[in-house]
Amino acid sequence: MAFEVPKTAYSGKIKEIKLGSGGKAVTVGGESSYPFYLFEGEMPHSPRIAMEVWDMPPQDWAPAALEPFQGVTDDPVAWAKKCIDDYGAEMICLQLISTDPNGLNRSADEATAVVKKVADAIDVPLIVWGTANHDKDTEVLRQVAEVCQGKNLIIGPVEEGDHKKIGAAAIGYHHTVISSTPIDINLAKQLNILLGNLGVSDDLIIVDPTVSCIGYGIEYCYSVMERMRMAGLTQQDEKLQFPLICNVSKEVWKTKEVHIPTAEDPKLGDAKKRGILLEAMSTMVLLLAGGDVMVMRHPEAIKLVREMITELTAAN
Amino acid sequence: MILIGENLNIMSQTIGPALKERNPGPVQEMAKAETKAGVDYIDLNIGPARKAGDEMMEWVVKTAQVVTDKLLSLDTTNPVAMEAGLKVAKNKALINSISLQPDRLEKELPLVTKYNACMIGLLWGVEGMPRDANERAMLAVDILYKANEAGIANEDIWIDPILTPVSVEINQLKACFEFMAMLKEIAPDCKSTVGLSNISNGTPTHLRPYLNRTCMIMLMRHGLYSAIVDAFDTELISIARGQKPKIVEVVHRVMDGEKVDLSSLSGEEAKYAKTVRVITGEALYSHSWLEI
Repeated sequence: MAFEVPKTAYSGKIKEIKLGSGGKAVTVGGESSYPFYLFEGEMPHSPRIAMEVWDMPPQDWAPAALEPFQGVTDDPVAWAKKCIDDYGAEMICLQLISTDPNGLNRSADEATAVVKKVADAIDVPLIVWGTANHDKDTEVLRQVAEVCQGKNLIIGPVEEGDHKKIGAAAIGYHHTVISSTPIDINLAKQLNILLGNLGVSDDLIIVDPTVSCIGYGIEYCYSVMERMRMAGLTQQDEKLQFPLICNVSKEVWKTKEVHIPTAEDPKLGDAKKRGILLEAMSTMVLLLAGGDVMVMRHPEAIKLVREMITELTAAN
Repeated sequence: MILIGENLNIMSQTIGPALKERNPGPVQEMAKAETKAGVDYIDLNIGPARKAGDEMMEWVVKTAQVVTDKLLSLDTTNPVAMEAGLKVAKNKALINSISLQPDRLEKELPLVTKYNACMIGLLWGVEGMPRDANERAMLAVDILYKANEAGIANEDIWIDPILTPVSVEINQLKACFEFMAMLKEIAPDCKSTVGLSNISNGTPTHLRPYLNRTCMIMLMRHGLYSAIVDAFDTELISIARGQKPKIVEVVHRVMDGEKVDLSSLSGEEAKYAKTVRVITGEALYSHSWLEI
């Protein structure tokens, strides 16, 4: 008897969602098989990479991460444009670091003005990521949603504690919400149900499973994402058929390992290469688990990941 | 179905302080209330009781026996406290529980014959929690063998396969069910029990009974002999006493894989049908499982 390759029986499909507006809008999701299992199903849209831009000059970035953005880190608009023009970014993720109540605690008005300027200056989809402080994010993201009506931003993180108010603003002004839960499949499903109950339509939800860096528990993130895909694709679990977003570079570049200079511990190898590889490999791990939108930082790491995506999605 | 009431527990806001202060009022109120609720055993859970556990257990057994004739289940991990309770128990007591750690076996197995008690054999091994049904089976064989060697008859051994919360790791729950189905072949004459409420740990309080009751019906079908339960869930007690055949029938049909049309069921029956699906892992659990 001839050998037959075992094949997974899929019964579901990941929802397709459109991010952004205009000619540079992107569509993600739509997978009908496990990530890159093109021999079993389809992956109609390749995963996308969003480049990270901060709303304030970073204080503690490793030199390797700062180098590509020299001269623009004090201007989010210039920074975003550089990502698009010089590094080919298909999406931008604006991290509202300055709004953190435990940090600069910039007001919602100021933050909104920055978001608006960036949104008006670029034509690729814009992700706006708050600080996960429920009160502050509610205040900031509601105002952002209103002022940027028509842009179809991707706003978050939306958590159980603030989903009603931010969700309502997203419905009112038509933005996509990032449904965010702490590495737990049951809680992720629950929040998606709650968002649905609130009236957020399925095509306006992208899921953030909470991710980390290699060496910092990424296997748990992998496992949760993998199980989400199994539930969505093989168990017809409609509340787990949303595309996934991974805010990964922020996690990578805050680790101890990317900050140790080459001279301090030569065994660890070249500091720049180390940081880039850690970012590229962590991202790759999460892509293999089912990530659809990856927030990344270093152009070299992005290049490596793009090459991998191209190879893995090439027709034999 | 033998029911063991779980409510006389040191973790409780009223019972905890009463146990520590040796205040008989709340303890006896609880024992009376559980007696009235109609459970078969009252579990006296004094926790690890590292300090003067023997005095506490002796006191609580004596205190409870003043107001109830129900059988008692003595719940502590302290062997000295266990023996102190067994000494003063009027009826055949249940030791809750003996796990497979060598020191526990060595100290506690002799108590079973010495005081003519029953024991719960908790399938918690030297390496902790068993990972699947087969490891549970190995641990069960092991504890039965060691208990038999100590002169304990199988009918005095109640195997507890460890029921885990539905929201933690569904494969553990599946393994528990799979093992329950195997147990009657491994040792037909031994008994079984589970800490039923554990399945709904982490679930919003008002929804926990659906998981507890459905899980009990499912395990009863696999031959479960007893369960440690919330004595005040009157619906659960009715089910255990065979007074809710329609609900049991719905649970069995869904267990058998029948695609039950939810609209053909009453609202209450539909909740049980949905609950079976999350316990079997057919649908992934979320706090809103009854609404979708």
